[in-house]
Amino acid sequence: MDQKRENNSIVIDVKNIKKKFRVYSDRGGTLKDRILFRTRRKYEDHWVLKGISFQVRKGEAIGLIGENGCGKSTTLKMLTRILYPDAGKITMKGRVSSLIELGAGFHPDLTGRENVYTNAAIFGLKQHEIDSRLDKIIAFSELEEYIDHPVRTYSSGMYMRLAFAVAINVDADILLIDEILAVGDASFQAKCFQKLQEIKSRGTTIVIVSHSLNQIEQICDRSIWIDEGLIRMEGTPRDIHPYYTEFMTRKTQKRDEKEAKEAKKAEEAKLATQPDPDNPNRTGSGEARMTSVRVLNATGEEASSFSPDEEITIQIDYTAHKDLSNAVVGIAIYRSDQTYIYGTNSLIDTAESVRLKEQGTIVLHIDRLPVANGSYTVDLALHRPDGLNYDFWKEVFTLHIADRIQTPGIIHLPHRWDIR
Amino acid sequence: MVETIKEIWEYRTMIASLVRKDLRGRYQASVLGFLWTFIVPLCQLIIYTLVFSVIIRSNVEKFYLYLFVALIPWNFFSSCLTGGSSCILQQQSLVNKIYFPREVIPIAYVTSSFVNMLYCEIVVILVSLFSGVVFSPLGLLCLPLVMSVEYVLALGITLIFSALDVYFRDLEHILGIVSMAWMFLTPIMYDMSIIPENLKPVFMLNPMTGIVMAYRDILYSGSIPHLGTLGIAAGTGLFFCVIGFLVFGKLKRRFSEVM
Repeated sequence: MDQKRENNSIVIDVKNIKKKFRVYSDRGGTLKDRILFRTRRKYEDHWVLKGISFQVRKGEAIGLIGENGCGKSTTLKMLTRILYPDAGKITMKGRVSSLIELGAGFHPDLTGRENVYTNAAIFGLKQHEIDSRLDKIIAFSELEEYIDHPVRTYSSGMYMRLAFAVAINVDADILLIDEILAVGDASFQAKCFQKLQEIKSRGTTIVIVSHSLNQIEQICDRSIWIDEGLIRMEGTPRDIHPYYTEFMTRKTQKRDEKEAKEAKKAEEAKLATQPDPDNPNRTGSGEARMTSVRVLNATGEEASSFSPDEEITIQIDYTAHKDLSNAVVGIAIYRSDQTYIYGTNSLIDTAESVRLKEQGTIVLHIDRLPVANGSYTVDLALHRPDGLNYDFWKEVFTLHIADRIQTPGIIHLPHRWDIR
Repeated sequence: MVETIKEIWEYRTMIASLVRKDLRGRYQASVLGFLWTFIVPLCQLIIYTLVFSVIIRSNVEKFYLYLFVALIPWNFFSSCLTGGSSCILQQQSLVNKIYFPREVIPIAYVTSSFVNMLYCEIVVILVSLFSGVVFSPLGLLCLPLVMSVEYVLALGITLIFSALDVYFRDLEHILGIVSMAWMFLTPIMYDMSIIPENLKPVFMLNPMTGIVMAYRDILYSGSIPHLGTLGIAAGTGLFFCVIGFLVFGKLKRRFSEVM
């Protein structure tokens, strides 16, 4: 604690920085586009950072956390000076090294050793500084045997090891790290981690962007949680992370619920059109099911032949898995040549859904079926208001309509003559 | 700007490493490798000699040398003008990944082209000697000065156009045409004496005129360059260089946003 007080000078000072990106709906980069479509070039300003301020003291390690697209990587890029803020100011003291993109400027045809020189030069090291670090870098990379081979012969793991070895041996005052502790195998990762701890204890200031809260807890003294371009919370990782975790869990939960809902819907839709294995004329989810259907005439006897002016009663016995308070009963009548004669359902008629009990009977009274002589088939359905079927039963029974005399046409018009 | 130059100096190792990489990469994997640096200008010389002694007769004495002495410096300048303009775009992976003073890239490009010209100048000097030119010692001492003036001018031009090219990519094509026109406006294939007297001041506005004439004074005529014209060229070169740093400094901040 005392040691920290001694050199607690501020090395990174971020003052109310804002950053916007222009999102072009149609980016015209050529001369023609610029001249001809000058006024048409449409873009939207998207503010990634809406005003962020924080300070980092010498030797402190901070972690930037937040969900994807919250602006934490943009912040880091501005600290690196790859991007510049549109408003606000960043002041940094000392040499900055970044472990953002490892192996920048590696040339595949050059040897590992030559690449160490070019790569380290990009970090701003001078010739003698590289000379004095070379052995350390090679030792750290564990690539002694291959150091004079061209880099293109390296495996991706070897490549990253060399790149990391250079970046971490720059001896920067400020080290910026973005999501790269996933380098190489587990033992090399542990080594990198150890090296970071060592660097930190020597007084290097570290800023890390990571999704791994674990890593941040191990190294950082402070976490800054960025949400939608603003700092949402700031404090020790132990204090902040529970809130962040809860926030993220809730967010994922919401997304999961939405996904589950959609999946359920799709499943239901699939079931609702699934044919009954015993009866190809029946489809539906089976949540409610017609158990028996009776057709009765005016005297209450079961019948299948009617005259056009006779009353027809249809009784449907059903069962339901559970109380279905939101159901619809429907009927459709077809002539034997598949001409659709008539159809209706309870929702059309009453504008209200039907409540189905676990077991019950639905009775439909048809005053008369005034159609021409012939056979008519009847479809019945129990379904949801949105049309998904519990039980759709095609051609449940056939009605034979027979009048005493045969009339032409398709309907039987109730009529009487009055001749004077 | 002082800050920037100080920072660039800090990154001198990077410049050196980029130059080395470029020079090595240029002829890597070719059989004759580095020798091409000398073979290309020599072959150019042979072709010009044949063309201007057999097909097109010129009344300028040793026209092949007259042309060659001017063409090598022009090639350097023209490569900076056309190739140099895309140098930032070519290194965009580097620019997007890591911080370093962006000026390093055009400086490295110009320097590497410059070093290439230095090798060619060795050939030029040998050919001049072979052709019987007697150098003035004082003139030869002026040669590094002339080269520096051209370097400064080329750097200024490269800084301006490499930065503009990031935002406006038609520039590469436009500059190809500009470079051709510029070549004919510079006394490379002809002598200033054929320019009408009233147009001469206009031609002298072109900084390359003074530079090419100085090269020719030293390496073709074996005399001391005309310090007045060289002075004007130096002034213009410096002017472009300052403008270059200012423009580049302004434009570099948004490089990685548009690439």
